Amino acid sequence: MDSLDPRIQRLDKSQDLPEKENLDQLETYEVFLQLKENKPYQHVGVVHASDEDLAFLFAKEQYSRRLTCTGLWVVRTSNVYVSLTTDNNENVYERFEDGKEGDISFEVFHLLKRGKQHVHAGTINSDDIKSAFGIAAREFGETTALNVWIARSADFLKSDPGDVDIWSTLPDKKFRDALAYKAGDKLKNFLEKNRS
Amino acid sequence: MNKTALKELLFKIADDQLILGHRNSEWTGLGPILEEDIAFSSMAQDKIGHSYAMYQILEELGEGDPDQVAFFRKAEEFHNSQLVELPIGEYSFSLIRHFLYDHSDFLRFDMLRNSSYELLAQVSSKIRSELKYHTMHARTWVKKLGTATDDSISRLQNDLDALMPYALGLFEKSPYEEEIISENIFGGEEELRSRWLELIAPIISKTELVLPDPEGVEPVMGGRIGKHTEYLQPLIDEMTEVMRIDPDAEW
Repeated sequence: MDSLDPRIQRLDKSQDLPEKENLDQLETYEVFLQLKENKPYQHVGVVHASDEDLAFLFAKEQYSRRLTCTGLWVVRTSNVYVSLTTDNNENVYERFEDGKEGDISFEVFHLLKRGKQHVHAGTINSDDIKSAFGIAAREFGETTALNVWIARSADFLKSDPGDVDIWSTLPDKKFRDALAYKAGDKLKNFLEKNRS
Repeated sequence: MNKTALKELLFKIADDQLILGHRNSEWTGLGPILEEDIAFSSMAQDKIGHSYAMYQILEELGEGDPDQVAFFRKAEEFHNSQLVELPIGEYSFSLIRHFLYDHSDFLRFDMLRNSSYELLAQVSSKIRSELKYHTMHARTWVKKLGTATDDSISRLQNDLDALMPYALGLFEKSPYEEEIISENIFGGEEELRSRWLELIAPIISKTELVLPDPEGVEPVMGGRIGKHTEYLQPLIDEMTEVMRIDPDAEW
């Protein structure tokens, strides 16, 4: 029997679906911020860019326009290796086979809770990406993580420690925070003034 | 300290920042891609912030309320260079102006960190740190587009040729140049101009672009003494349109 769902019924299945056009977009880069000195970098989102340098420029204004920031990393999305994602608090690190240490440096990020962002677990050295997951499990597996991202350290563009001052005025830029508009207070004053 | 000289210096800096900040904000919503739109708009906002800091110092020195000073003067009372008032043109034009102006502004504040006028020296460190990103942004784009395609290279070259005379006008000397230098308020336009050329020439030489020989270019002067192009007054009118409806409104 054919489906009774009207959304299925109204489909003209005799015709092939039109092919989707490629998106007119630049590729994406993942952005990681350090909000305070000595805190781990954490994933904040993506930017579209044609290369790392522009991704860095864009990420700086996209993701560190407000509050505080002491460092920024970007890496091309296609250079990030992603593990499977576990459910029910199963530690994903336990799914990785042990690996061999080596000479290539990798950055490891893990997701500790659904709905949160990946945070930097640390840097490890290994021969290849498969081994890197094994080494990551050995180094960071005590922590229960649901998902792990690994990318070669060399693929990251990282802010120069000498340039940290580009963020030094952020705490002064309160006007970029909706809270600073005090719209509620202004409205209250206006209403009170008009009532009296 | 020579107050008149100091005020003249502050006015030209503040007016450059206010007018360019407003011009660059005209790209908001129209930038080439979303991310660049946000970055360019953010920097335009920074520039307005820098001008506000300068107008606040001027208020300390006896000038009026910053908003009044910024918004209720006629074009001929503005001391900005003609470079910053030109219409935004195509994006390459705005980028080259951003590149030429921001490198000079960065160096100006780099020098002003040592100003004998302490209030200015303090503010300068902060402004310099924001301009560091602005120059990073400008440099990165010029390097990319200046080595990309024949089209991008020729566009940037045309804009560079057109804007160089205006950019050299940034360094128009003050009538109080000697006092400003001898009282260590600021190292002077001559010094700034040569540091600027030293900074931008190597960046341009790493691209396919050619920096016009500054000795062969006639600088466009006059902005500092209130001589402006036909484009400034309409900008001021537009910028103050809402404010003039109710000058006493609280924002």
